Amino acid sequence: MRVTFGVLNALSALVLLVGVFGVVQPRFWALDVPLATIALLELASAVGLLAKLPWGLRALSVSAWVSFVLGLLVVSCILLTIVFLRGIHGDYGVAGLAVSALIVALLVPYTVVLPALELLWLKRQRGESLS
Amino acid sequence: MTPRVFLRLLAIWGGVLVVCATMIFFVVRIDRARPAAGPYLVSVWQRGERTARTVVTDKPEVVWQGPADGRGAQRVIEQIVDSAPILWNSWLVLGHSIVPARDGVSASFDGRTAYLSPDDLRKLEAYEFTFALGPLSLVMGIDVNKVLGALAHELGTEPHELLRHGSFRRFAVVSDAPYPRKVSEADVTVEAIKSSVQDAARYLSRNQRRDGTFRYELDAMTGEESRDYNFPRHAGATFFLARAGSQFRDAQLSRAAERAGNFMKDRATLRCGAFACVGEGDQVDIGAAALALLAYVELLSGGNEEFRAPALELAGFLRSQQRADGEFQHFYSVKEQHPIDVQVEYYTGEATYALSHAHRVSGDARDLEAARRGLSFLVARSPLFLGSHYFWGAEHWTCQALADIWQRAPDPVALEFCLDWQAVNRNLQFDSPPAPASYDGGITRGPFMAPRLTPTASRLEAAVATLEVARAAGVPAAQVELLERQIKRAFAFLLRYQFTPGPTYSMSNPRLLAGGFPGSAVDLHVRIDYPQHAGGALLRYWELEQK
Repeated sequence: MRVTFGVLNALSALVLLVGVFGVVQPRFWALDVPLATIALLELASAVGLLAKLPWGLRALSVSAWVSFVLGLLVVSCILLTIVFLRGIHGDYGVAGLAVSALIVALLVPYTVVLPALELLWLKRQRGESLS
Repeated sequence: MTPRVFLRLLAIWGGVLVVCATMIFFVVRIDRARPAAGPYLVSVWQRGERTARTVVTDKPEVVWQGPADGRGAQRVIEQIVDSAPILWNSWLVLGHSIVPARDGVSASFDGRTAYLSPDDLRKLEAYEFTFALGPLSLVMGIDVNKVLGALAHELGTEPHELLRHGSFRRFAVVSDAPYPRKVSEADVTVEAIKSSVQDAARYLSRNQRRDGTFRYELDAMTGEESRDYNFPRHAGATFFLARAGSQFRDAQLSRAAERAGNFMKDRATLRCGAFACVGEGDQVDIGAAALALLAYVELLSGGNEEFRAPALELAGFLRSQQRADGEFQHFYSVKEQHPIDVQVEYYTGEATYALSHAHRVSGDARDLEAARRGLSFLVARSPLFLGSHYFWGAEHWTCQALADIWQRAPDPVALEFCLDWQAVNRNLQFDSPPAPASYDGGITRGPFMAPRLTPTASRLEAAVATLEVARAAGVPAAQVELLERQIKRAFAFLLRYQFTPGPTYSMSNPRLLAGGFPGSAVDLHVRIDYPQHAGGALLRYWELEQK
């Protein structure tokens, strides 16, 4: 699992960095700073896990918690925005809802599920090392 | 943290999210269907400006009863149906809390309340704030600065003070104003279509200058005229005028078309190698030449022989721009006298259609062959690219070329292409409900924006052309019926918004605008290609019904 999480975190970091700094224009600190922070934490944890460095698990724990909390925050904001727009515009059709749902569905695996699995695995690791 | 605690925390998060979402939804929503019971906004408009506004709770008709207050004054009564608070006094939230063309906004400050009704917001052109993101132009809610400025002016304060200390509400109204008109699919009769085309053509003829050029774009709200000009659009407007003049045997329209044609022939024709081309400056495009050729052919058919030689020259120019694979080189450097092999949307379809049309008067087999190759190129779809069934542009000339060439060089692949595209357009049409009744039949550009008329109109030109070929080719009746219904619904959408006569009370010079088609429900500008495309589609359908 150490290698799997290392590779997945490296990939997530890469997707975030390329996505934010390669695709999104113009620069806006409110998006750039949190996403760059998550990407750098994930990159650090990936290096730590893959190179079996002593601080690898700790870095994974920090990156997983930060990703998880910010991920929940982002998903909450998107869902509340969808509800807000539906309240304002009324029934704006299946296509609008489908696009909104797709955005959430694409985000959840990376921003919520992956860090949650990492946290659960870390918990088990700690349990095993104590016993 | 154990998995159990973890799941419990997630459940709490989910619960809080559901509660917040429910609260937001019920706070911001308004019920447009309920019987109107709110106050009345009684506005008096004169020469396109609102000169008075009174808010009363009943008997609005007694507030202002006649033209004693001034010549040409008109009263509009709007009753508030429902309202809801703006969730937060911020530029972002206010900007996204108003539904374009449907909502008004009120502000209370220092014990006073000011209202901006949908008419006011349309007049201010505040319903759409266009935000440039690199090459993209995005509409991001309403123009908050204009809204705050107008409300602050009425309340005697500064916009930033109002945003900080005011309280805002959005509201829906029912209005006694006759715009947009109530037109349904059943009202789209041959007579209604003919009348609409005549009005659109007369708009262009009325707004033509002595030299043959047109008032390029008029703002219906202010009467101001844009300083821009565009030769492909001039040529397109000429083509439509020539067709309308010839079909309705209307000498005034034919004369206007001739004047516009003469302007291109005498004052906008350049030399591009061995041939003539249309435009100005160091570089020209084939779009202007193609549409000018269409107009010349139409003028020639109406008996104007002086356009024969220029038409043949332009056909030669277009053929010389065609590549071996059927595609066209869209530009020509007049300065350096060579073609430029760069492509943009529309021009290949325009050139193909123009060459097919030119063949009718030239009898030159090279014109027909060039049109046939152009059409084949346009409709070629790789079977390996699944996306070709889902990704479509707004190119609307291909199917007109298909109809024009069908009797002489039928292309079943092109017919299939056009039928597929119209099926996609059917999916893009607004359906009411859930869409507002006035949008029914319009082509959507997103769920939060008012549909534009010209994208609907240009697709209609192609749809009617496809219908013509589908009938001739024996396409199954069920498919033809779908196409006919789609066309009639879209026509109803266009007729609702045509200035016949439009919201005259808020227009500074309604006589000048009569018959024009605006950009959308919130963009009441008329550019020369708006009546051209809408009128062109309607005229094509009228011609088809005459057959």
